[in-house]
Amino acid sequence: MRRTILSAVALACTAVLAGTAPAFATDPTPVPSDPAATTPSPGTEPSEAPGTGTGPSEVPTPSVSAPAPAAEPSEVPTPSVSAPAPAYEVSADGQVSVVPEGAADTGVGAAQSSGSDTGLIGAGAGAGLLAGGAVLFVVRRRRAATGA
Amino acid sequence: MTPRSGRVLATVVLAAVLAGCGGQGSEAGGGRASGGNGPARHATTAPPQPSAEPVRPLARSEPVGLRIPAIGVDTPVMRLGLASDGTVEVPPVADDDLAGWYRHSPAPGQVGPSVVLGHVTVGSHGDGVFRRLARLHRGDRVETRLANGTAAEFAVIEVRTVAKAEFPTDDVYGDVDRPELRLITCGGPRSGDEYRDNVIVFAELTATTSARSPAVS
Repeated sequence: MRRTILSAVALACTAVLAGTAPAFATDPTPVPSDPAATTPSPGTEPSEAPGTGTGPSEVPTPSVSAPAPAAEPSEVPTPSVSAPAPAYEVSADGQVSVVPEGAADTGVGAAQSSGSDTGLIGAGAGAGLLAGGAVLFVVRRRRAATGA
Repeated sequence: MTPRSGRVLATVVLAAVLAGCGGQGSEAGGGRASGGNGPARHATTAPPQPSAEPVRPLARSEPVGLRIPAIGVDTPVMRLGLASDGTVEVPPVADDDLAGWYRHSPAPGQVGPSVVLGHVTVGSHGDGVFRRLARLHRGDRVETRLANGTAAEFAVIEVRTVAKAEFPTDDVYGDVDRPELRLITCGGPRSGDEYRDNVIVFAELTATTSARSPAVS
């Protein structure tokens, strides 16, 4: 009888612990915002060579010494003096005077790790509970076999 | 195995399975609702049609507020310019996300396409101010408050989801002969931090309101 009560208590404690583990896991460590994400990346695509304000040239210059655009984006913002020339300007009053290039980057994805971490912790708790149950089972069998 | 041992083992296994399911359930319910931001896959509403009675345009005054009742948006509006790479600036990624007006475009109510941008998500801060922009439909109202006290009210005429690689620059920034509004955010599937598409709402001016009188035109 005492063994049965002890077994029940051990089982209850294991279940409670397993149940509380996911609750702890749902309190994620605050992820600091990525400061780099707040500023538009200056090098997401090769920047045009600083022009003279006449707009981007479609025809590459044959000169060998012409400054080629950076092949890969630089981590350090280049202290470019001349502002990049807009694609074109609209002179009509009341219309868009400077047309931006490309699409707007108006979405910064949330951290992807939160959900998967929770799932992993839940699975880990389940595995731990299984292991505890297996140990309990083995102990009980041995006790039953030895009559202790 | 004794019957009692079998019962104990079955109980333990059942508890383990339940614990595992609980973990998965908290994952599904604990997100910051970013999953709900996926834009509807409807491509667009009907193509823009000019309204029957054109509304008199407003004088230039910067927008200070934006309200879209259909999707619960009521936000201040900041000024945006060009980024160093020639793309349009976007509002800062912060908790108090807000919309931004592209200052090289007409003010809302002026003749031409006034452009307002907002985030769909702001990283670890969660949802952006335009998280539900793709849910707008033709006829939904968009209200802009201007710095001089006037207000311009627009009606949605088209909602378009386009790949960023095929951004319709002319449709968004090109000349129009009446006051229009463009609302832009990101949408579509996401890989890492990048969204594939832009959601663009086209709207036309339907009414203006002065600071004192409720319906000038």
